[in-house]
Amino acid sequence: MQFKDVFQWRPVSGEPLIVDGQTITPQSRALIVRLPVGGFVWHLPTAVLVEQNGQVKRLPIVNVTRVLQLGLLASCVGIALAGWLASRKREENRT
Amino acid sequence: MIDTTNEVLSLVNKREQQVATLMEKLFSAAQASAVFSTPVVAGNYTVVTACEVAVGGGFGSGMGQSPAPASREQQGETPQSVSGVGVGGGGGGGGGSNGRPVAAIVIGPQGVRVKPIVDVTKIAIAGITLGGTIAVMLRKVLK
Repeated sequence: MQFKDVFQWRPVSGEPLIVDGQTITPQSRALIVRLPVGGFVWHLPTAVLVEQNGQVKRLPIVNVTRVLQLGLLASCVGIALAGWLASRKREENRT
Repeated sequence: MIDTTNEVLSLVNKREQQVATLMEKLFSAAQASAVFSTPVVAGNYTVVTACEVAVGGGFGSGMGQSPAPASREQQGETPQSVSGVGVGGGGGGGGGSNGRPVAAIVIGPQGVRVKPIVDVTKIAIAGITLGGTIAVMLRKVLK
Protein backbone atom coordinates (compact mmCIF):
# COMPACT_ATOMS: atom_id res chain seq x y z
CA MET A 1 0.00 0.00 0.00
CA GLN A 2 1.47 3.34 -1.09
CA PHE A 3 1.21 6.69 0.67
CA LYS A 4 -1.01 8.14 -2.06
CA ASP A 5 -3.41 5.19 -1.67
CA VAL A 6 -3.77 5.94 2.04
CA PHE A 7 -3.78 9.76 1.99
CA GLN A 8 -5.39 11.88 -0.70
CA TRP A 9 -5.84 15.67 -0.68
CA ARG A 10 -7.74 16.30 -3.85
CA PRO A 11 -9.79 19.09 -5.39
CA VAL A 12 -13.45 18.35 -6.11
CA SER A 13 -15.69 20.25 -8.52
CA GLY A 14 -19.45 20.32 -8.16
CA GLU A 15 -22.10 20.32 -10.87
CA PRO A 16 -22.02 23.65 -12.76
CA LEU A 17 -25.14 25.71 -12.22
CA ILE A 18 -26.36 28.06 -14.95
CA VAL A 19 -28.33 31.07 -13.71
CA ASP A 20 -29.00 34.24 -15.78
CA GLY A 21 -26.23 33.47 -18.24
CA GLN A 22 -23.71 32.86 -15.48
CA THR A 23 -22.09 29.48 -14.94
CA ILE A 24 -21.40 28.86 -11.28
CA THR A 25 -19.09 25.99 -10.41
CA PRO A 26 -18.59 25.22 -6.71
CA GLN A 27 -15.17 23.90 -5.76
CA SER A 28 -13.98 22.06 -2.68
CA ARG A 29 -11.11 20.00 -1.33
CA ALA A 30 -11.26 16.61 0.33
CA LEU A 31 -8.78 14.89 2.60
CA ILE A 32 -9.34 11.15 2.29
CA VAL A 33 -7.62 8.63 4.53
CA ARG A 34 -8.17 5.02 3.51
CA LEU A 35 -7.07 2.34 5.94
CA PRO A 36 -7.67 -1.42 5.81
CA VAL A 37 -9.80 -1.17 8.95
CA GLY A 38 -11.61 2.07 8.29
CA GLY A 39 -11.26 5.54 6.93
CA PHE A 40 -11.71 9.25 7.33
CA VAL A 41 -12.97 12.01 5.05
CA TRP A 42 -12.67 15.75 5.70
CA HIS A 43 -14.31 17.78 2.98
CA LEU A 44 -14.42 21.56 2.90
CA PRO A 45 -15.65 24.10 0.34
CA THR A 46 -12.94 26.35 -1.07
CA ALA A 47 -14.33 28.62 -3.80
CA VAL A 48 -16.97 29.35 -6.39
CA LEU A 49 -16.02 29.92 -10.02
CA VAL A 50 -18.30 32.38 -11.80
CA GLU A 51 -18.04 32.38 -15.58
CA GLN A 52 -19.77 35.15 -17.53
CA ASN A 53 -19.08 36.48 -21.02
CA GLY A 54 -15.93 34.37 -21.23
CA GLN A 55 -14.52 35.85 -18.03
CA VAL A 56 -13.91 33.65 -15.01
CA LYS A 57 -14.04 35.12 -11.52
CA ARG A 58 -13.02 33.13 -8.43
CA LEU A 59 -14.88 33.86 -5.20
CA PRO A 60 -13.13 32.22 -2.24
CA ILE A 61 -15.22 30.63 0.52
CA VAL A 62 -13.68 31.60 3.85
CA ASN A 63 -14.58 29.71 7.02
CA VAL A 64 -15.00 32.82 9.19
CA THR A 65 -15.76 30.77 12.31
CA ARG A 66 -12.46 28.89 12.01
CA VAL A 67 -10.48 32.08 11.32
CA LEU A 68 -11.98 33.78 14.41
CA GLN A 69 -11.47 30.67 16.55
CA LEU A 70 -7.82 30.37 15.53
CA GLY A 71 -7.32 34.09 16.08
CA LEU A 72 -8.76 33.93 19.60
CA LEU A 73 -6.78 30.80 20.45
CA ALA A 74 -3.57 32.38 19.11
CA SER A 75 -4.32 35.40 21.34
CA CYS A 76 -4.72 33.01 24.29
CA VAL A 77 -1.32 31.46 23.62
CA GLY A 78 0.26 34.91 23.12
CA ILE A 79 -1.20 36.29 26.35
CA ALA A 80 -0.20 33.17 28.30
CA LEU A 81 3.35 33.43 26.96
CA ALA A 82 3.57 37.15 27.70
CA GLY A 83 2.29 36.59 31.25
CA TRP A 84 4.77 33.79 31.84
CA LEU A 85 7.67 35.93 30.55
CA ALA A 86 6.56 38.90 32.69
CA SER A 87 6.33 36.84 35.87
CA ARG A 88 9.71 35.24 35.13
CA LYS A 89 11.35 38.64 34.62
CA ARG A 90 9.85 39.93 37.87
CA GLU A 91 11.21 36.93 39.77
CA GLU A 92 14.65 37.52 38.26
CA ASN A 93 14.52 41.19 39.34
CA ARG A 94 13.60 40.18 42.92
CA THR A 95 16.64 37.89 43.18
CA MET B 1 -18.50 -29.16 13.18
CA ILE B 2 -18.19 -28.53 9.41
CA ASP B 3 -21.64 -26.91 9.50
CA THR B 4 -20.55 -24.57 12.28
CA THR B 5 -17.35 -23.63 10.42
CA ASN B 6 -19.31 -22.94 7.23
CA GLU B 7 -21.79 -20.87 9.20
CA VAL B 8 -18.99 -18.79 10.73
CA LEU B 9 -17.29 -18.38 7.34
CA SER B 10 -20.54 -17.25 5.72
CA LEU B 11 -21.03 -14.75 8.55
CA VAL B 12 -17.48 -13.47 8.00
CA ASN B 13 -18.18 -13.06 4.26
CA LYS B 14 -21.43 -11.27 5.03
CA ARG B 15 -19.61 -8.96 7.43
CA GLU B 16 -16.96 -8.19 4.79
CA GLN B 17 -19.71 -7.20 2.35
CA GLN B 18 -21.36 -5.01 4.99
CA VAL B 19 -18.03 -3.33 5.76
CA ALA B 20 -17.44 -2.71 2.02
CA THR B 21 -20.89 -1.11 1.68
CA LEU B 22 -20.32 0.97 4.79
CA MET B 23 -16.90 2.14 3.55
CA GLU B 24 -18.46 3.09 0.21
CA LYS B 25 -21.04 5.20 2.05
CA LEU B 26 -18.31 6.72 4.22
CA PHE B 27 -16.23 7.77 1.20
CA SER B 28 -19.29 9.21 -0.56
CA ALA B 29 -18.67 12.21 1.73
CA ALA B 30 -15.81 13.05 -0.65
CA GLN B 31 -18.32 13.89 -3.39
CA ALA B 32 -19.29 17.49 -4.10
CA SER B 33 -22.95 16.76 -3.29
CA ALA B 34 -21.95 16.16 0.34
CA VAL B 35 -20.62 19.71 0.64
CA PHE B 36 -22.87 21.78 -1.64
CA SER B 37 -26.65 21.63 -1.28
CA THR B 38 -29.09 21.48 -4.16
CA PRO B 39 -29.96 25.03 -5.28
CA VAL B 40 -33.02 26.60 -3.69
CA VAL B 41 -34.85 29.16 -5.82
CA ALA B 42 -36.85 31.91 -4.11
CA GLY B 43 -38.01 34.78 -6.29
CA ASN B 44 -35.05 36.29 -8.11
CA TYR B 45 -32.58 34.55 -5.85
CA THR B 46 -30.93 31.14 -5.98
CA VAL B 47 -29.16 29.94 -2.85
CA VAL B 48 -26.67 27.11 -2.43
CA THR B 49 -25.28 26.32 1.01
CA ALA B 50 -21.70 25.17 1.42
CA CYS B 51 -20.92 22.91 4.37
CA GLU B 52 -17.80 21.47 5.90
CA VAL B 53 -18.14 17.71 6.40
CA ALA B 54 -16.02 15.25 8.36
CA VAL B 55 -16.77 11.53 8.48
CA GLY B 56 -14.76 8.72 10.02
CA GLY B 57 -15.17 5.09 10.89
CA GLY B 58 -13.30 1.95 11.85
CA PHE B 59 -14.07 -1.73 11.92
CA GLY B 60 -12.49 -4.87 13.24
CA SER B 61 -13.24 -8.57 13.47
CA GLY B 62 -11.73 -11.87 14.29
CA MET B 63 -12.44 -15.56 14.44
CA GLY B 64 -10.83 -18.63 15.86
CA GLN B 65 -11.32 -22.23 16.78
CA SER B 66 -10.14 -24.51 19.51
CA PRO B 67 -7.39 -27.08 18.70
CA ALA B 68 -8.36 -30.33 16.95
CA PRO B 69 -9.23 -33.28 19.28
CA ALA B 70 -6.02 -35.17 18.46
CA SER B 71 -3.80 -32.34 19.54
CA ARG B 72 -5.86 -31.79 22.67
CA GLU B 73 -5.57 -35.48 23.57
CA GLN B 74 -1.81 -35.08 23.29
CA GLN B 75 -2.06 -32.25 25.79
CA GLY B 76 -3.44 -34.74 28.31
CA GLU B 77 -7.18 -34.18 27.98
CA THR B 78 -9.36 -37.26 28.15
CA PRO B 79 -11.20 -38.35 24.97
CA GLN B 80 -14.55 -37.79 26.74
CA SER B 81 -13.77 -34.11 27.22
CA VAL B 82 -12.68 -33.50 23.61
CA SER B 83 -15.93 -34.53 21.95
CA GLY B 84 -16.41 -31.11 20.24
CA VAL B 85 -14.37 -28.34 18.71
CA GLY B 86 -15.41 -24.78 19.29
CA VAL B 87 -15.47 -22.17 16.55
CA GLY B 88 -16.24 -18.55 17.18
CA GLY B 89 -15.98 -15.12 15.72
CA GLY B 90 -16.88 -11.56 16.39
CA GLY B 91 -16.69 -8.10 15.01
CA GLY B 92 -17.38 -4.52 15.80
CA GLY B 93 -17.08 -1.02 14.56
CA GLY B 94 -17.66 2.60 15.28
CA GLY B 95 -17.79 5.91 13.56
CA GLY B 96 -18.96 9.45 13.59
CA SER B 97 -19.71 12.39 11.38
CA ASN B 98 -19.84 16.13 11.68
CA GLY B 99 -21.17 18.79 9.36
CA ARG B 100 -21.44 22.55 9.65
CA PRO B 101 -22.57 25.23 7.19
CA VAL B 102 -19.70 27.54 6.24
CA ALA B 103 -21.24 29.89 3.70
CA ALA B 104 -24.26 30.58 1.56
CA ILE B 105 -23.76 31.24 -2.13
CA VAL B 106 -26.41 33.74 -3.17
CA ILE B 107 -27.06 34.27 -6.86
CA GLY B 108 -29.29 37.26 -7.44
CA PRO B 109 -29.79 40.38 -9.55
CA GLN B 110 -26.62 41.89 -7.98
CA GLY B 111 -24.54 38.93 -9.09
CA VAL B 112 -22.98 36.08 -7.15
CA ARG B 113 -22.13 36.65 -3.48
CA VAL B 114 -20.60 34.36 -0.90
CA LYS B 115 -22.06 35.13 2.52
CA PRO B 116 -20.22 33.55 5.47
CA ILE B 117 -22.20 31.72 8.15
CA VAL B 118 -20.69 32.33 11.61
CA ASP B 119 -21.13 29.82 14.43
CA VAL B 120 -21.67 32.18 17.37
CA THR B 121 -21.48 29.38 19.98
CA LYS B 122 -17.99 28.33 18.91
CA ILE B 123 -16.79 31.94 18.86
CA ALA B 124 -18.31 32.53 22.30
CA ILE B 125 -16.54 29.46 23.72
CA ALA B 126 -13.21 30.65 22.27
CA GLY B 127 -13.91 34.15 23.66
CA ILE B 128 -14.64 32.78 27.13
CA THR B 129 -11.37 30.79 26.97
CA LEU B 130 -9.52 33.99 26.01
CA GLY B 131 -11.21 35.92 28.83
CA GLY B 132 -10.24 33.21 31.32
CA THR B 133 -6.63 33.27 30.12
CA ILE B 134 -6.47 37.07 30.45
CA ALA B 135 -7.95 36.89 33.98
CA VAL B 136 -5.48 34.21 35.11
CA MET B 137 -2.54 36.09 33.60
CA LEU B 138 -3.57 39.43 35.13
CA ARG B 139 -3.90 37.78 38.53
CA LYS B 140 -0.46 36.24 38.18
CA VAL B 141 1.20 39.46 36.98
CA LEU B 142 -0.46 41.76 39.55
CA LYS B 143 0.33 39.45 42.49
